[in-house]
Amino acid sequence: MEFDFISVTTFWRILLFLHFVMAVALLAAVTLQLVAVLVPAPVSQPAGNFVERIRAAPPQWYVAAIVILYVPTFLLGAWVYIKYRTYVRIPMEQTGQWWTVGTFEFKEHIVSMGMAMLPAYWYVWRKPLSESFASLRKWLTVFLAVAVWYSFLVGHVANDFRGVGT
Amino acid sequence: MTQALEVHERISELGGARAASQSATAEVTASKAGRFVFVFGISFAILYTLFEQMNWPLFTYHPAVGKLDFWMQRARSGEGPGMYWYGWLALAFPCAALIGWLSTLVSSKWLYRATVFCCVLAILWSVIFAILVLTDGRTSFDTDLVKSMGWWSAIPGLVGALVISYFVPLQLAQRVFTSWLLIMPIGGLLILGYSLKSFFLR
Repeated sequence: MEFDFISVTTFWRILLFLHFVMAVALLAAVTLQLVAVLVPAPVSQPAGNFVERIRAAPPQWYVAAIVILYVPTFLLGAWVYIKYRTYVRIPMEQTGQWWTVGTFEFKEHIVSMGMAMLPAYWYVWRKPLSESFASLRKWLTVFLAVAVWYSFLVGHVANDFRGVGT
Repeated sequence: MTQALEVHERISELGGARAASQSATAEVTASKAGRFVFVFGISFAILYTLFEQMNWPLFTYHPAVGKLDFWMQRARSGEGPGMYWYGWLALAFPCAALIGWLSTLVSSKWLYRATVFCCVLAILWSVIFAILVLTDGRTSFDTDLVKSMGWWSAIPGLVGALVISYFVPLQLAQRVFTSWLLIMPIGGLLILGYSLKSFFLR
């Protein structure tokens, strides 16, 4: 089966690549925010090198980018998941790659939980920042960062099994 | 003297944390948007875990043949595997949104108690079920027994949740309200992760 101008395989590879690009951008945003939240630079100290400048950046800068990137990355991942279920998971099972299958199953759960926490995440990061939400802000950011990092690594392993460039 | 000062400092830190969580809850429940987003997040975690564990998808998608079936449909011969994840999401998101909307209509007192009831029920039900399954050797081969245990364990869970939510001091229920947003998804992920153990123990 072929589309008029590209093959079906190319179509799915383009979708997977777009999913990957958005995931990389999301990964960068959550990581930078996590650093700014967990190890903020002291107020009195002027930002010097690259790491210090990241630590000194206001963590609320990344909120809009994270929300805007998380939703389409999730939706695109949900679309590509159709191809994964038939084209990738079945050969994985046939070759006994059970750990890869299991970790990928957990990915669908953790990203779903992250998706549902996104409205609350946005709410606690609204300006002006409320002092009462300081602890919640920190832990919601940690949760989302863990979800995104886990999903990225597991998705990458699945891609290495059968995906773009394999 | 130093020890006394340290103890005093810790007590005031604890008091500060309590006051912070109480004021966070007050701020959340003061606005409809705040109530909605928190209750949505908490109820999604519970419902998604429940739907996944019971395998209650709104629909089943069969990707190999592009077919959609209402509710749960096992894969038929020659039609490839069935996908349930979309169905769990399609059911959990609107249900959580509905509960979130309902939370904007009730008083704060009811909201705190109802949240305690639902979260404690989810925890007690899971814990009692896990204890029953782990202590009975027959559960390793009798799936019907596991299913019936799932339903039976809901009864003490329900009673416990009713008692706790009735007797819990309102201040405590208010203080823990925002914490459920982290407790329930993490608890849900523990259950969901444990249920995948067959993949890791082969």
